[in-house]
Amino acid sequence: MGEGSVKKLADIRRSAMAAVAATMLLAGCATRDTGAADVWDPLEGPNRFIFAINQTVDMIAIRPVSVLYREVVPKPAQRSVHNAVQNLGEPVTALNDAVQGDGNQAMTSMARFLVNTTLGVAGLFDVATSFGLKKSDNDAGQTIGYYAGVQPENGGFYLMLPLIGPSNARDAVGLVADSAVDPFGIAIYSLASSSAYWIYAGTRYGTTVIDTRVRTMTALDDLQRNSVDYYAALRSAYTQRRAEQIRQRRDRTSPQAELERRDNLALVR
Amino acid sequence: MLARRRNMLHLAAGAAAVVVAPRLAAADLDPAAQLIQRTAGQVIELIKTKTGAARESGILQVLEADFDLSYMGRSALGVHWNQATPEQRERFLKAAASAEAHAYAERFGQYGGQTLTLGRVTSRGGSSFVESKLNQSDGEPISITWEVRNEGQGPRIVDVKIEGVSMVMTRRSDFNSYIQNHGGKVESLIGELESRAKR
Repeated sequence: MGEGSVKKLADIRRSAMAAVAATMLLAGCATRDTGAADVWDPLEGPNRFIFAINQTVDMIAIRPVSVLYREVVPKPAQRSVHNAVQNLGEPVTALNDAVQGDGNQAMTSMARFLVNTTLGVAGLFDVATSFGLKKSDNDAGQTIGYYAGVQPENGGFYLMLPLIGPSNARDAVGLVADSAVDPFGIAIYSLASSSAYWIYAGTRYGTTVIDTRVRTMTALDDLQRNSVDYYAALRSAYTQRRAEQIRQRRDRTSPQAELERRDNLALVR
Repeated sequence: MLARRRNMLHLAAGAAAVVVAPRLAAADLDPAAQLIQRTAGQVIELIKTKTGAARESGILQVLEADFDLSYMGRSALGVHWNQATPEQRERFLKAAASAEAHAYAERFGQYGGQTLTLGRVTSRGGSSFVESKLNQSDGEPISITWEVRNEGQGPRIVDVKIEGVSMVMTRRSDFNSYIQNHGGKVESLIGELESRAKR
Protein backbone atom coordinates (compact mmCIF):
# COMPACT_ATOMS: atom_id res chain seq x y z
CA MET A 1 0.00 0.00 0.00
CA GLY A 2 1.43 3.38 -0.98
CA GLU A 3 1.49 6.45 1.17
CA GLY A 4 -1.26 8.01 -0.93
CA SER A 5 -3.74 5.20 -0.37
CA VAL A 6 -3.09 5.24 3.41
CA LYS A 7 -3.88 8.94 3.38
CA LYS A 8 -7.01 8.30 1.36
CA LEU A 9 -8.07 5.64 3.84
CA ALA A 10 -7.56 8.09 6.69
CA ASP A 11 -9.61 10.66 4.77
CA ILE A 12 -12.42 8.18 4.28
CA ARG A 13 -12.31 7.25 7.93
CA ARG A 14 -12.38 10.92 8.91
CA SER A 15 -15.39 11.72 6.72
CA ALA A 16 -17.14 8.60 7.98
CA MET A 17 -16.60 9.81 11.54
CA ALA A 18 -17.89 13.26 10.58
CA ALA A 19 -20.99 11.61 9.12
CA VAL A 20 -21.51 9.60 12.31
CA ALA A 21 -21.06 12.75 14.39
CA ALA A 22 -23.55 14.63 12.21
CA THR A 23 -26.06 11.78 12.50
CA MET A 24 -25.68 11.76 16.25
CA LEU A 25 -26.27 15.50 16.31
CA LEU A 26 -29.39 15.10 14.19
CA ALA A 27 -30.54 12.20 16.31
CA GLY A 28 -30.01 14.45 19.31
CA CYS A 29 -32.30 17.01 17.72
CA ALA A 30 -34.88 14.38 16.91
CA THR A 31 -35.14 13.37 20.57
CA ARG A 32 -35.68 17.11 21.25
CA ASP A 33 -32.34 17.37 22.98
CA THR A 34 -32.19 21.11 23.37
CA GLY A 35 -28.57 21.04 24.45
CA ALA A 36 -29.39 21.78 28.07
CA ALA A 37 -27.97 18.39 29.03
CA ASP A 38 -24.59 19.50 27.75
CA VAL A 39 -24.10 23.15 28.57
CA TRP A 40 -20.90 24.63 27.15
CA ASP A 41 -18.71 25.00 30.22
CA PRO A 42 -15.04 25.53 29.24
CA LEU A 43 -14.33 27.10 32.64
CA GLU A 44 -15.73 24.15 34.57
CA GLY A 45 -12.69 23.89 36.88
CA PRO A 46 -12.71 27.52 38.07
CA ASN A 47 -16.52 27.52 38.03
CA ARG A 48 -16.67 24.52 40.36
CA PHE A 49 -14.14 26.22 42.63
CA ILE A 50 -16.30 29.37 42.88
CA PHE A 51 -19.38 27.18 43.29
CA ALA A 52 -17.73 25.51 46.30
CA ILE A 53 -17.03 28.92 47.87
CA ASN A 54 -20.60 30.07 47.13
CA GLN A 55 -21.92 26.88 48.70
CA THR A 56 -19.86 27.48 51.83
CA VAL A 57 -20.99 31.11 52.13
CA ASP A 58 -24.56 29.93 51.59
CA MET A 59 -24.27 27.23 54.22
CA ILE A 60 -22.74 29.40 56.95
CA ALA A 61 -24.48 32.72 56.24
CA ILE A 62 -27.07 33.17 53.48
CA ARG A 63 -29.20 30.10 54.09
CA PRO A 64 -29.41 30.44 57.91
CA VAL A 65 -30.25 34.15 57.62
CA SER A 66 -32.88 33.36 54.99
CA VAL A 67 -34.45 30.65 57.14
CA LEU A 68 -34.53 33.03 60.11
CA TYR A 69 -36.03 35.77 57.93
CA ARG A 70 -38.65 33.35 56.59
CA GLU A 71 -39.64 32.14 60.06
CA VAL A 72 -39.43 35.37 62.08
CA VAL A 73 -40.50 38.22 59.80
CA PRO A 74 -44.31 38.36 59.31
CA LYS A 75 -45.48 37.20 55.89
CA PRO A 76 -47.02 40.59 54.87
CA ALA A 77 -43.71 42.30 55.67
CA GLN A 78 -41.83 39.73 53.55
CA ARG A 79 -44.23 40.39 50.70
CA SER A 80 -43.68 44.15 51.02
CA VAL A 81 -39.89 43.73 50.96
CA HIS A 82 -40.25 41.63 47.82
CA ASN A 83 -42.55 44.22 46.23
CA ALA A 84 -40.19 47.09 47.06
CA VAL A 85 -37.14 45.34 45.57
CA GLN A 86 -39.13 44.39 42.46
CA ASN A 87 -40.46 47.94 42.13
CA LEU A 88 -36.92 49.36 42.01
CA GLY A 89 -36.26 47.11 39.01
CA GLU A 90 -39.37 48.20 37.11
CA PRO A 91 -37.80 51.12 35.11
CA VAL A 92 -34.99 48.86 33.83
CA THR A 93 -37.60 46.20 33.01
CA ALA A 94 -39.57 48.80 31.03
CA LEU A 95 -36.41 49.74 29.14
CA ASN A 96 -35.77 46.11 28.21
CA ASP A 97 -39.41 45.65 27.17
CA ALA A 98 -39.01 48.69 24.91
CA VAL A 99 -35.68 47.57 23.41
CA GLN A 100 -37.33 44.22 22.59
CA GLY A 101 -40.00 46.15 20.67
CA ASP A 102 -42.80 45.42 23.13
CA GLY A 103 -44.11 48.97 23.52
CA ASN A 104 -47.27 47.81 25.24
CA GLN A 105 -45.44 45.95 27.99
CA ALA A 106 -42.94 48.82 28.35
CA MET A 107 -45.84 51.19 29.06
CA THR A 108 -47.36 48.65 31.44
CA SER A 109 -44.07 48.24 33.35
CA MET A 110 -43.67 52.01 33.61
CA ALA A 111 -47.29 52.38 34.74
CA ARG A 112 -46.65 49.67 37.34
CA PHE A 113 -43.70 51.66 38.65
CA LEU A 114 -45.70 54.92 38.87
CA VAL A 115 -48.76 53.29 40.47
CA ASN A 116 -46.80 51.21 42.97
CA THR A 117 -44.44 54.04 43.92
CA THR A 118 -47.35 56.40 44.68
CA LEU A 119 -50.47 54.43 45.62
CA GLY A 120 -48.35 51.46 46.68
CA VAL A 121 -46.34 53.62 49.15
CA ALA A 122 -42.81 53.50 47.66
CA GLY A 123 -43.47 50.09 46.19
CA LEU A 124 -44.35 48.31 49.43
CA PHE A 125 -47.72 47.23 48.01
CA ASP A 126 -48.28 45.81 44.56
CA VAL A 127 -51.45 47.76 43.74
CA ALA A 128 -50.69 47.64 40.01
CA THR A 129 -51.32 43.89 39.72
CA SER A 130 -54.82 44.31 41.13
CA PHE A 131 -55.35 47.00 38.44
CA GLY A 132 -54.54 44.34 35.85
CA LEU A 133 -51.07 45.70 35.04
CA LYS A 134 -49.09 42.55 34.36
CA LYS A 135 -45.51 42.14 35.59
CA SER A 136 -42.88 41.50 32.96
CA ASP A 137 -39.71 40.23 34.72
CA ASN A 138 -37.52 41.36 31.87
CA ASP A 139 -33.76 41.93 31.89
CA ALA A 140 -30.88 42.65 29.54
CA GLY A 141 -29.82 38.98 29.42
CA GLN A 142 -33.19 38.24 27.88
CA THR A 143 -32.81 41.20 25.50
CA ILE A 144 -29.48 39.82 24.23
CA GLY A 145 -31.03 36.34 23.95
CA TYR A 146 -34.02 37.81 22.11
CA TYR A 147 -31.84 39.29 19.37
CA ALA A 148 -29.07 36.68 19.27
CA GLY A 149 -29.82 34.39 16.34
CA VAL A 150 -29.05 31.21 18.31
CA GLN A 151 -31.00 28.66 20.34
CA PRO A 152 -31.90 30.32 23.65
CA GLU A 153 -30.14 27.42 25.42
CA ASN A 154 -26.92 28.83 23.99
CA GLY A 155 -25.94 31.73 26.24
CA GLY A 156 -22.21 31.49 25.56
CA PHE A 157 -19.96 29.83 28.09
CA TYR A 158 -21.40 28.97 31.49
CA LEU A 159 -20.20 31.14 34.35
CA MET A 160 -20.47 30.73 38.12
CA LEU A 161 -20.39 34.23 39.57
CA PRO A 162 -19.09 34.78 43.11
CA LEU A 163 -21.97 35.59 45.52
CA ILE A 164 -24.47 35.79 42.63
CA GLY A 165 -24.54 32.22 41.38
CA PRO A 166 -25.23 30.56 38.04
CA SER A 167 -24.88 32.70 34.93
CA ASN A 168 -23.33 32.65 31.48
CA ALA A 169 -21.62 35.07 29.11
CA ARG A 170 -24.96 36.41 27.91
CA ASP A 171 -26.55 36.91 31.31
CA ALA A 172 -23.41 38.31 32.94
CA VAL A 173 -23.17 41.00 30.24
CA GLY A 174 -26.89 41.57 30.84
CA LEU A 175 -26.33 42.05 34.57
CA VAL A 176 -23.63 44.66 33.96
CA ALA A 177 -25.81 46.44 31.38
CA ASP A 178 -28.83 46.49 33.67
CA SER A 179 -26.92 47.93 36.61
CA ALA A 180 -25.24 50.50 34.34
CA VAL A 181 -28.61 51.95 33.27
CA ASP A 182 -30.26 51.72 36.70
CA PRO A 183 -31.74 55.24 37.13
CA PHE A 184 -31.59 55.13 40.95
CA GLY A 185 -27.94 54.16 40.92
CA ILE A 186 -27.13 56.93 38.43
CA ALA A 187 -29.13 59.51 40.40
CA ILE A 188 -27.56 58.62 43.74
CA TYR A 189 -24.08 58.50 42.26
CA SER A 190 -24.38 61.91 40.59
CA LEU A 191 -26.45 63.73 43.23
CA ALA A 192 -24.88 62.31 46.39
CA SER A 193 -21.53 60.53 46.56
CA SER A 194 -19.94 57.29 45.50
CA SER A 195 -20.13 55.98 49.06
CA ALA A 196 -23.88 56.66 49.06
CA TYR A 197 -24.06 54.67 45.83
CA TRP A 198 -22.28 51.68 47.40
CA ILE A 199 -24.59 51.79 50.41
CA TYR A 200 -27.60 51.81 48.06
CA ALA A 201 -26.21 49.04 45.85
CA GLY A 202 -25.15 46.92 48.81
CA THR A 203 -28.50 47.20 50.59
CA ARG A 204 -30.43 46.44 47.44
CA TYR A 205 -28.19 43.48 46.61
CA GLY A 206 -28.38 42.08 50.16
CA THR A 207 -32.16 42.36 50.28
CA THR A 208 -32.50 40.77 46.84
CA VAL A 209 -30.25 37.88 47.89
CA ILE A 210 -32.31 37.05 51.00
CA ASP A 211 -35.65 37.52 49.22
CA THR A 212 -34.54 35.34 46.29
CA ARG A 213 -33.01 32.70 48.57
CA VAL A 214 -36.29 32.35 50.49
CA ARG A 215 -38.25 32.03 47.26
CA THR A 216 -35.94 29.46 45.71
CA MET A 217 -35.31 27.43 48.87
CA THR A 218 -37.77 24.60 48.16
CA ALA A 219 -36.66 24.19 44.56
CA LEU A 220 -32.92 24.33 45.32
CA ASP A 221 -33.20 21.96 48.29
CA ASP A 222 -35.07 19.52 46.04
CA LEU A 223 -32.43 19.82 43.31
CA GLN A 224 -29.56 19.33 45.73
CA ARG A 225 -31.11 16.35 47.53
CA ASN A 226 -32.12 14.53 44.36
CA SER A 227 -28.97 14.97 42.30
CA VAL A 228 -25.67 13.08 42.26
CA ASP A 229 -23.81 16.11 40.86
CA TYR A 230 -25.54 19.26 42.16
CA TYR A 231 -23.26 21.58 40.15
CA ALA A 232 -24.28 19.91 36.87
CA ALA A 233 -27.97 19.69 37.81
CA LEU A 234 -28.06 23.40 38.70
CA ARG A 235 -26.20 24.28 35.48
CA SER A 236 -28.83 22.46 33.43
CA ALA A 237 -31.82 23.83 35.36
CA TYR A 238 -30.53 27.41 35.12
CA THR A 239 -29.91 27.10 31.38
CA GLN A 240 -33.38 25.64 30.77
CA ARG A 241 -35.13 28.27 32.87
CA ARG A 242 -33.43 31.18 31.09
CA ALA A 243 -34.06 29.57 27.70
CA GLU A 244 -37.75 29.26 28.54
CA GLN A 245 -37.95 32.97 29.46
CA ILE A 246 -36.24 34.00 26.21
CA ARG A 247 -38.38 31.60 24.17
CA GLN A 248 -41.50 33.23 25.61
CA ARG A 249 -40.16 36.66 24.54
CA ARG A 250 -39.54 35.34 21.03
CA ASP A 251 -42.89 33.54 20.82
CA ARG A 252 -44.62 36.84 21.45
CA THR A 253 -43.65 37.95 17.97
CA SER A 254 -43.94 34.64 16.13
CA PRO A 255 -47.12 34.35 14.04
CA GLN A 256 -47.88 30.81 15.18
CA ALA A 257 -47.74 31.74 18.87
CA GLU A 258 -50.00 34.69 18.07
CA LEU A 259 -52.58 32.34 16.52
CA GLU A 260 -52.41 30.02 19.52
CA ARG A 261 -52.89 32.95 21.86
CA ARG A 262 -55.98 33.98 19.90
CA ASP A 263 -57.25 30.42 20.23
CA ASN A 264 -56.84 30.64 23.97
CA LEU A 265 -58.58 34.00 24.06
CA ALA A 266 -61.49 32.53 22.09
CA LEU A 267 -61.68 29.81 24.72
CA VAL A 268 -61.80 32.31 27.55
CA ARG A 269 -64.46 34.41 25.85
CA MET B 1 -85.22 46.57 17.72
CA LEU B 2 -85.02 44.99 21.14
CA ALA B 3 -86.10 41.63 19.78
CA ARG B 4 -83.52 41.88 17.09
CA ARG B 5 -80.82 42.62 19.60
CA ARG B 6 -81.93 39.66 21.67
CA ASN B 7 -81.79 37.49 18.57
CA MET B 8 -78.31 38.71 17.93
CA LEU B 9 -77.37 37.82 21.48
CA HIS B 10 -78.84 34.35 21.06
CA LEU B 11 -76.96 33.98 17.84
CA ALA B 12 -73.73 35.08 19.46
CA ALA B 13 -74.26 32.78 22.43
CA GLY B 14 -75.04 29.91 20.09
CA ALA B 15 -71.94 30.56 18.05
CA ALA B 16 -69.84 30.73 21.17
CA ALA B 17 -71.29 27.45 22.39
CA VAL B 18 -70.48 25.83 19.08
CA VAL B 19 -66.93 27.18 19.18
CA VAL B 20 -66.31 26.24 22.79
CA ALA B 21 -68.16 22.94 23.07
CA PRO B 22 -66.11 20.77 20.68
CA ARG B 23 -62.91 22.12 22.17
CA LEU B 24 -63.96 21.36 25.72
CA ALA B 25 -65.20 17.94 24.67
CA ALA B 26 -61.87 17.27 22.97
CA ALA B 27 -60.02 18.34 26.11
CA ASP B 28 -62.26 16.10 28.20
CA LEU B 29 -61.68 13.12 25.98
CA ASP B 30 -57.96 13.59 25.45
CA PRO B 31 -56.39 10.58 27.18
CA ALA B 32 -53.29 12.58 28.14
CA ALA B 33 -55.27 15.34 29.85
CA GLN B 34 -57.47 12.71 31.50
CA LEU B 35 -54.39 10.98 32.87
CA ILE B 36 -53.06 14.21 34.43
CA GLN B 37 -56.45 15.03 35.91
CA ARG B 38 -56.77 11.54 37.39
CA THR B 39 -53.21 11.51 38.76
CA ALA B 40 -53.57 14.95 40.34
CA GLY B 41 -56.90 13.93 41.85
CA GLN B 42 -55.49 10.74 43.32
CA VAL B 43 -52.44 12.51 44.79
CA ILE B 44 -54.55 15.27 46.36
CA GLU B 45 -56.92 12.69 47.81
CA LEU B 46 -53.99 10.74 49.28
CA ILE B 47 -52.49 13.83 50.88
CA LYS B 48 -55.83 14.85 52.36
CA THR B 49 -56.66 11.46 53.86
CA LYS B 50 -53.34 9.77 54.68
CA THR B 51 -50.12 10.66 56.49
CA GLY B 52 -46.65 9.25 57.00
CA ALA B 53 -45.78 5.84 55.57
CA ALA B 54 -49.31 5.18 54.26
CA ARG B 55 -49.15 8.39 52.23
CA GLU B 56 -45.71 7.60 50.81
CA SER B 57 -46.68 4.08 49.76
CA GLY B 58 -49.91 5.41 48.23
CA ILE B 59 -47.98 7.98 46.20
CA LEU B 60 -45.54 5.25 45.15
CA GLN B 61 -48.45 3.19 43.80
CA VAL B 62 -49.75 6.19 41.81
CA LEU B 63 -46.25 6.78 40.44
CA GLU B 64 -45.80 3.18 39.35
CA ALA B 65 -49.21 3.17 37.67
CA ASP B 66 -49.13 6.58 35.95
CA PHE B 67 -45.44 7.34 35.36
CA ASP B 68 -43.28 5.43 32.88
CA LEU B 69 -40.33 5.25 35.28
CA SER B 70 -38.25 2.97 33.05
CA TYR B 71 -38.68 5.29 30.05
CA MET B 72 -37.66 8.21 32.27
CA GLY B 73 -34.61 6.32 33.48
CA ARG B 74 -33.61 5.37 29.96
CA SER B 75 -33.82 8.94 28.67
CA ALA B 76 -32.00 10.24 31.74
CA LEU B 77 -29.05 7.92 31.09
CA GLY B 78 -28.89 9.16 27.47
CA VAL B 79 -25.90 7.96 25.45
CA HIS B 80 -24.58 5.86 28.34
CA TRP B 81 -27.56 3.54 27.98
CA ASN B 82 -25.97 1.96 24.92
CA GLN B 83 -22.70 1.22 26.74
CA ALA B 84 -24.41 -0.45 29.68
CA THR B 85 -24.71 -4.25 29.87
CA PRO B 86 -28.23 -5.75 30.22
CA GLU B 87 -27.44 -6.51 33.86
CA GLN B 88 -26.32 -2.90 34.47
CA ARG B 89 -29.42 -1.56 32.71
CA GLU B 90 -31.68 -3.58 34.95
CA ARG B 91 -29.89 -2.47 38.12
CA PHE B 92 -29.82 1.14 36.92
CA LEU B 93 -33.55 1.21 36.15
CA LYS B 94 -34.37 -0.26 39.54
CA ALA B 95 -32.18 2.24 41.43
CA ALA B 96 -33.25 5.23 39.28
CA ALA B 97 -36.96 4.39 39.61
CA SER B 98 -36.66 4.16 43.36
CA ALA B 99 -34.79 7.50 43.53
CA GLU B 100 -37.34 9.12 41.23
CA ALA B 101 -40.28 7.72 43.20
CA HIS B 102 -38.80 9.00 46.44
CA ALA B 103 -38.22 12.48 44.93
CA TYR B 104 -41.78 12.73 43.62
CA ALA B 105 -43.26 11.48 46.88
CA GLU B 106 -41.36 14.27 48.63
CA ARG B 107 -42.48 16.90 46.10
CA PHE B 108 -46.13 15.87 46.28
CA GLY B 109 -45.86 15.79 50.07
CA GLN B 110 -45.30 19.56 50.09
CA TYR B 111 -48.77 20.08 48.67
CA GLY B 112 -50.60 22.83 50.55
CA GLY B 113 -54.03 23.28 49.01
CA GLN B 114 -52.98 24.49 45.56
CA THR B 115 -55.23 23.78 42.59
CA LEU B 116 -54.19 22.50 39.17
CA THR B 117 -55.82 24.03 36.10
CA LEU B 118 -55.32 22.12 32.87
CA GLY B 119 -54.63 24.07 29.70
CA ARG B 120 -53.77 23.30 26.11
CA VAL B 121 -52.73 19.84 24.92
CA THR B 122 -50.30 19.67 21.99
CA SER B 123 -48.70 16.69 20.25
CA ARG B 124 -45.13 16.51 19.01
CA GLY B 125 -42.91 13.58 18.14
CA GLY B 126 -45.21 10.88 19.52
CA SER B 127 -45.72 12.69 22.84
CA SER B 128 -48.62 14.72 24.14
CA PHE B 129 -47.78 17.82 26.14
CA VAL B 130 -50.41 18.84 28.68
CA GLU B 131 -49.97 22.40 29.89
CA SER B 132 -51.19 23.27 33.35
CA LYS B 133 -51.01 25.95 36.02
CA LEU B 134 -50.47 25.26 39.68
CA ASN B 135 -52.39 28.05 41.41
CA GLN B 136 -50.86 29.08 44.71
CA SER B 137 -52.62 30.89 47.52
CA ASP B 138 -49.81 33.47 47.61
CA GLY B 139 -47.80 34.40 44.57
CA GLU B 140 -47.87 33.77 40.86
CA PRO B 141 -49.17 30.47 39.47
CA ILE B 142 -46.45 27.98 38.50
CA SER B 143 -46.59 26.62 34.96
CA ILE B 144 -46.18 22.85 34.71
CA THR B 145 -46.08 20.91 31.42
CA TRP B 146 -46.64 17.14 31.54
CA GLU B 147 -45.24 14.99 28.77
CA VAL B 148 -47.36 11.92 28.18
CA ARG B 149 -46.38 8.97 25.97
CA ASN B 150 -47.96 5.68 25.12
CA GLU B 151 -45.27 2.99 24.91
CA GLY B 152 -47.77 0.15 24.62
CA GLN B 153 -49.07 0.13 28.20
CA GLY B 154 -51.51 3.01 27.79
CA PRO B 155 -50.63 6.68 28.30
CA ARG B 156 -47.99 7.32 30.97
CA ILE B 157 -46.23 10.45 32.21
CA VAL B 158 -42.60 10.51 31.00
CA ASP B 159 -41.48 14.02 31.98
CA VAL B 160 -42.56 17.00 34.06
CA LYS B 161 -41.45 20.50 33.09
CA ILE B 162 -41.70 23.11 35.82
CA GLU B 163 -41.37 26.70 34.53
CA GLY B 164 -39.55 25.31 31.52
CA VAL B 165 -37.17 23.11 33.51
CA SER B 166 -37.46 19.46 32.46
CA MET B 167 -36.88 17.00 35.27
CA VAL B 168 -35.56 14.34 32.87
CA MET B 169 -33.23 16.76 31.09
CA THR B 170 -31.82 17.99 34.40
CA ARG B 171 -31.35 14.41 35.56
CA ARG B 172 -29.58 13.52 32.31
CA SER B 173 -27.16 16.39 32.75
CA ASP B 174 -26.65 15.36 36.37
CA PHE B 175 -25.98 11.67 35.55
CA ASN B 176 -23.85 12.49 32.53
CA SER B 177 -21.56 14.77 34.51
CA TYR B 178 -21.29 12.27 37.37
CA ILE B 179 -20.25 9.51 34.95
CA GLN B 180 -17.72 11.77 33.22
CA ASN B 181 -16.15 12.69 36.55
CA HIS B 182 -15.91 9.03 37.58
CA GLY B 183 -13.85 7.60 34.75
CA GLY B 184 -16.69 7.49 32.24
CA LYS B 185 -18.06 4.32 33.82
CA VAL B 186 -21.81 3.75 34.20
CA GLU B 187 -21.01 1.36 37.04
CA SER B 188 -19.98 4.24 39.36
CA LEU B 189 -23.35 5.96 38.88
CA ILE B 190 -25.30 2.76 39.47
CA GLY B 191 -23.30 2.13 42.64
CA GLU B 192 -24.02 5.65 43.89
CA LEU B 193 -27.76 5.37 43.16
CA GLU B 194 -27.93 1.96 44.83
CA SER B 195 -26.18 3.18 47.95
CA ARG B 196 -28.53 6.19 48.09
CA ALA B 197 -31.55 3.91 47.81
CA LYS B 198 -30.37 2.02 50.89
CA ARG B 199 -30.05 5.16 52.98
